[in-house]
Amino acid sequence: MHHNILEIKQLKTYFFTRSGVVKAVDSVNFGIRRGESLCLVGESGCGKTATALSILRLIDSPPGKIIDGEIRYHDEDLLRCSGKRLRQIRGHGIAMIFQDPQSSLNPVFTVGDQIAEQIRMHLKLKRRPTMERTLHLMEQVGIPRARERMKDYPHQFSGGMRQRIMIAAALSCGPEILIADEPTTALDTTIKEQILDIFRDLKQQREMSILFITHDLGTVAGIADRIVVMYGGRIAEVGTVYDIFDQPKHPYTHGLIDCLPDISARSDRLTSIPGMIPSLIDPPDGCIFSPRCPRSMMVCRQKRPKEVIVSKEHLVACHLYS
Amino acid sequence: MKRGGLQGYIIKRLIYAALIAFGVVTITFILLRLGPTSPADKYLANMSARTQDPAQVVAAVEARYGLDKPLYQQYGNYLINLARGDWGWSFSTSMPVIKLIQTHWVYSFQLILLSMLFAASLGLLIGVCSAIKQYTRIDYLATFFSFIGISIPNFWLGIMLILVFSVQLGWFKTYYDTGLPMFSLANLKALILPVITLGTGMMAGYTRYARSATLDNMGKDFVRTARAKGLPERVVIGKHVFRNAILPIITIIMFSLSGIVFGGAYLTEIIFGIPGLGRISFNAIFASDYPVVVTITLIGTLVVLLTNLATDIVYTWLDPRIRYD
Ligand SMILES: Nc1ncnc2c1ncn2[C@@H]1O[C@H](COP(=O)(O)OP(=O)(O)O)[C@@H](O)[C@H]1O
Ligand SMILES: [Mg+2]
Repeated sequence: MHHNILEIKQLKTYFFTRSGVVKAVDSVNFGIRRGESLCLVGESGCGKTATALSILRLIDSPPGKIIDGEIRYHDEDLLRCSGKRLRQIRGHGIAMIFQDPQSSLNPVFTVGDQIAEQIRMHLKLKRRPTMERTLHLMEQVGIPRARERMKDYPHQFSGGMRQRIMIAAALSCGPEILIADEPTTALDTTIKEQILDIFRDLKQQREMSILFITHDLGTVAGIADRIVVMYGGRIAEVGTVYDIFDQPKHPYTHGLIDCLPDISARSDRLTSIPGMIPSLIDPPDGCIFSPRCPRSMMVCRQKRPKEVIVSKEHLVACHLYS
Repeated sequence: MKRGGLQGYIIKRLIYAALIAFGVVTITFILLRLGPTSPADKYLANMSARTQDPAQVVAAVEARYGLDKPLYQQYGNYLINLARGDWGWSFSTSMPVIKLIQTHWVYSFQLILLSMLFAASLGLLIGVCSAIKQYTRIDYLATFFSFIGISIPNFWLGIMLILVFSVQLGWFKTYYDTGLPMFSLANLKALILPVITLGTGMMAGYTRYARSATLDNMGKDFVRTARAKGLPERVVIGKHVFRNAILPIITIIMFSLSGIVFGGAYLTEIIFGIPGLGRISFNAIFASDYPVVVTITLIGTLVVLLTNLATDIVYTWLDPRIRYD
């Protein structure tokens, strides 16, 4: 059994909106192991961000609320620890990077200050060492002329550079776990590759566990050790990269792989899975993928599938395998 | 920020300020001199007791102060003197205007400054608290009272305050006591009712703006980033939210300044018998004492324009995204 440094158990995060209760995360289980890179994949709106924010209790409330579950980090349950303890863990034990580097940085403070404030706060360093560390981090993530640029404001940087600054800030206190929520989605294709390279490097070093979130199975190459496939607020499949790419079990995972460009030369390749992304308000009984599933059976519309172990590392929630 | 850009901007704004000041002087001058009364009438009132021929007195006085010259010539002379720093002679009080201003400006200054400090600090505090505690009892109370504060006319509030706290309860004098030393608690106490009168409406307005600006910024992504860093709520709100929320509030405060200088302060000084520039100007209008009225209007205009310019300059380091070219 591998040691999980973070273990999510039966997590339920709902949003209470005017039109109903959105079950954004509905009984999700998975663990993150020491030093591994875990990719959380699924179409947009399937609850990836809600899952990530729940880990650090950053869900906007109202309308959101973590209803139930457990998030075990070392010997603590993050959902039940004190606010003070939680703040010690945020940014220090577990750091997070967001999708949009434009809006995630505060426009009225220098980027140097926005990296330094968490170093000062968690590591209790003095002015000079904080400066040195900030500078070193900015150089490490590839910001040219870092010493001068520390004093610049976010609007003076390009999108890619801003995301590097977000990464530098997240890495600043040497976190055990880095959560990156679609860090390349808001960026141009060429810039995207450069940022992905940073993550590939971080993965190689294996000093830190990474939870890398993406809606695009294509970006996980070179980053993921294992993959969690999420659909409609639930886990569809969990496995190593090889399990998922070579022996996908869940019809939804099949769909995602079929949608990837250049995986084969087939001309009848799909560009997206047919059907609509389900509403997470009043989801259908049974398997939430069943309305779109090409292999849907009677039972799929009646009973929610349990998670089935198909091999040592490989888990799937689908009636085809039960 | 290019320094040259800012300098050019300041020069441009100073030129505008000079043009506006010129316009204000001209309009005020014309309005007062075209009125039915002459500044010399005041002398007439004083001297008729001495059984002189009224027409003779008026003619003598008008000749002495050049009031018999054509209006454009009077205007020209007045402007030239003004440019030389000679603010003219107050007919109604028989002293140089500069002397009059020197003795009275401080009463307006202390009233306006204290009222703004009162309104801005309390308005910001209540507005931010109201936003942090959105949809709680504190928020509803703050919202309720700020709407009342916005709707109360300040002359009515002033009269009510005097009736209740001065007349009924006897806590304060009904009239502002000019004999008190400027920097004394007694003076501060004497200013409590005037400051509340002038400041309440402003404070209520600032509360509304502070609340909405804080709420706007509390939902921003960078606030989530700040929380994800593990910063305590005090820093998240006090640093990240507040530094962004303060920007629109400063603009609002500056916009409200001209209303305070030319409206609220005049009324408040009259209600409480504070001998500030507003009251002096008010009296001077009835005496057609145009050098006093023009000078005080000009001072008010310059204070508003220069404060606005100062705010714009302060803005360049409060908001690094702003550039003036
Ligand atoms: N603040 C919110 N208020 C209401 N619904 C929300 C909110 N945030 C997310 N949701 C809903 O929760 C579901 C999952 O959203 P999200 O976790 O952002 O998906 P993903 O990151 O996978 O694209 C979506 O149906 C979305 O509409
Ligand atoms: Mg998302």
